[in-house]
Amino acid sequence: MVLLVYSEVNQDSNLNLFCFFCFFFVFRTLGRQSVCLAKPQYSVLYRHVAPMGSTAKEEMNKFWDKNSRLNRPMSPHITIYKWSVPMMMSITHRGTGVGLSGAISAFAVAALVLPGSYPYYLDLIHSLSIGPFLTGLAKFGIAFPVSYHTYNGIRHLGWDMGKGFKIPEVYRTGYTVIGLSVITSIALLMI
Amino acid sequence: MTLMDHRTYLLSTICATLFTKLHQKNEKKITERRSVTSMAKTQAAHSNSKAASLHWTAERMLSVLLLAMGPVAYFNPGPVIDYSLAAALTLHGHWGLGQVLTDYVHGDTKIKMANAALFLLSTITFTGLCYFNYNDVGICKAVALLWSK
Repeated sequence: MVLLVYSEVNQDSNLNLFCFFCFFFVFRTLGRQSVCLAKPQYSVLYRHVAPMGSTAKEEMNKFWDKNSRLNRPMSPHITIYKWSVPMMMSITHRGTGVGLSGAISAFAVAALVLPGSYPYYLDLIHSLSIGPFLTGLAKFGIAFPVSYHTYNGIRHLGWDMGKGFKIPEVYRTGYTVIGLSVITSIALLMI
Repeated sequence: MTLMDHRTYLLSTICATLFTKLHQKNEKKITERRSVTSMAKTQAAHSNSKAASLHWTAERMLSVLLLAMGPVAYFNPGPVIDYSLAAALTLHGHWGLGQVLTDYVHGDTKIKMANAALFLLSTITFTGLCYFNYNDVGICKAVALLWSK
């Protein structure tokens, strides 16, 4: 490329020689840009292009560095967006996940710490005056988060396979998940 | 050659010399840097991104495994599924909470502390569930007993 430009401009005036030098350095610079990491002194021309050969990790680090440099609010931000069903469902998915994980950890710690056995405590709670209410609450507290997190987890696995990204599909699968979770948790409370 | 052309020629020569000098300096710097640290850095970044991708796949595989464990636990309860559930639930929770920490905990020290705390919590959880499986009725039976009340 450079040779081609050179042979064209070689016979012409010295002004063209200057042009050749400019071309030469622009090409050299661009060529290097695509090979190595982005250097700030070369980034004027290619500012909006991710340089080739950078990894997802490097891009991610750049993103976080910029965020902390500009003191941006955290992402995903919780309070600035208009509420929508898919957004609420996403938060509920995370909420049920954290809640169930916390419940499992609490159960595990209780198993380690408490002296009595599980059937003993279950009978004890059941024999209380509000016992059936408490066990019913425990059942619902397990049934709804588990079924919701399971169905929505399947929805997520669909997205992970690249399916169901169109907005109407997101809503349709979302409402299906909510419906199925309610039906399943009520059915589980009945048995 | 007019005066204007002559000036341009001089200017271009000076510019070219300056450019070349600067360029050689940069090139030297870049080459040095690339040969010493950047190669190692690039390789580390590549293995990091490969590890992240593998982790992503492992998370999905575990999710599918956990989905399959539900029916197995219902139709074939016992110690095998009890311990499998203890491991799978702990790991799924550990990875899931790890994602939450990644999103909302910033700063090198804070991230390290949060991850250490999460590791401790997950270790205690797994120990507790195994203890429950060994010394008590086990996870499957525990759910069945709760639902029998």
